[in-house]
Amino acid sequence: MREPHSRLDAYENAVNSHDMNKRVPILDQKFVTTGTKRALLVALTTSMIGCSGAQVEVPAEFPVPLTTKLPVTMGLVLDETLTSYQHIEELESGGDWSIDLGSAQVPMFINLAEGMFQTYRVIEDREPPFTGVSAVLHPKIGDLQFTTPQQTRSGYFEVWIRYEFELFDKQGTSLGNWDMTAYGKAHEQNSGTSAALQRAALNACRDAMAFFTLRFESTPVVKTWLDGRRRGAT
Amino acid sequence: MSCVRILTVATAALALAGCVSGTIEEVREAATSMGSDDYLVVLGKRPRPMNSETELNFISCVSENVGGGSDALNVIDEQAFMDAMFPWFEPRTAPVKTDDLPELMGQPLLSERLEEIGLKYLVWVEGSTERTDSEGSLTCSVAATGAGCFGFLTWENDSSYETTIWDVRTSRVVGRISSDAIGTSYMPAVVLPIPLIARVKSSACSSLAAQLKSFIQSDA
Repeated sequence: MREPHSRLDAYENAVNSHDMNKRVPILDQKFVTTGTKRALLVALTTSMIGCSGAQVEVPAEFPVPLTTKLPVTMGLVLDETLTSYQHIEELESGGDWSIDLGSAQVPMFINLAEGMFQTYRVIEDREPPFTGVSAVLHPKIGDLQFTTPQQTRSGYFEVWIRYEFELFDKQGTSLGNWDMTAYGKAHEQNSGTSAALQRAALNACRDAMAFFTLRFESTPVVKTWLDGRRRGAT
Repeated sequence: MSCVRILTVATAALALAGCVSGTIEEVREAATSMGSDDYLVVLGKRPRPMNSETELNFISCVSENVGGGSDALNVIDEQAFMDAMFPWFEPRTAPVKTDDLPELMGQPLLSERLEEIGLKYLVWVEGSTERTDSEGSLTCSVAATGAGCFGFLTWENDSSYETTIWDVRTSRVVGRISSDAIGTSYMPAVVLPIPLIARVKSSACSSLAAQLKSFIQSDA
């Protein structure tokens, strides 16, 4: 169940072209002088009066991936750093913004595991050895960034989420880790400020699920682990 | 009495609407037909980051119009379809050309699900409605004696949408329909502003949906 890599790679390159270490440089272009910057900032601030940001919670509405299940029992560690993740930011260009991503993470990973693995188990006791599982997956949110339509002048809210995954064997030994950047966007005109930001964040979560489903088996760490299991079985 | 009132309101509404002119073009590449158990889905193209995407309300408008009226076709809601086929029609994974379909259909789980849904046609919609021109000025003021506006505004909206219809069962493009509409809205204001709105997007939606229905149902 793998789709052509060229298509996926093209999308991935576009998503990854956003540098998570940089902020959106709309006021840093060379042709904008300091005076102009100030004027622009004043104009932007003035135009944003009444726009005081938004507080949104990502709804826990995720489908189960339609894919061939891997014949493993996967343990999932969904700890508090993931389930209480909230991004709070005060933008210079206007308002206080908050995206509550944590509350959607349990249903998201449960549905993902439901579709991808023969069986799965949420690990409550994190002390190894882990019994009754083939391996344990520990997802974390490394970073979240978003841009508003005012920043990009595109009409879109855009959200990038960097997930970090670590895979452990039954004894609790780390088999390796990897990152994954997901992306979602939504047009402000379609639904208004709060709903558009919420939709962009939800789309980023769906993108994370899609990316995870398609790339899990071919991720080097996972591939090595699965190859080892297959060799052990023969 | 109520009849007179309705007639007055309808006349006023007609008088207050701006003018919209539109064109529809159709290219047929294969015969089409739908049985009583066949379904179609209208999907918006959602390309890569930062590219524009077709408005969600336009997609739902076309979907509702195709699925309504006397000659209604069986239509699956876009979100329901994307959820049922998840993750194969997400922006990251959706097929971009019909050549991608056989590979998708080659996956037993997907072809089983499509069979279950009864999907025959995928209708991809691409395009948007944009404001292309605006002129005039309007000033409003409030004083102790009252408030009022004075001035004249005019703006032009341009809708341009293109649909491509894929036959899922034969993995072929069966046709394309394009819908263009342009309309100018006016807002004169002498004390009270009176908007004369040209419903460009709505006109593009209804004409595109009507053409889509006739295209699918006629097997010429």
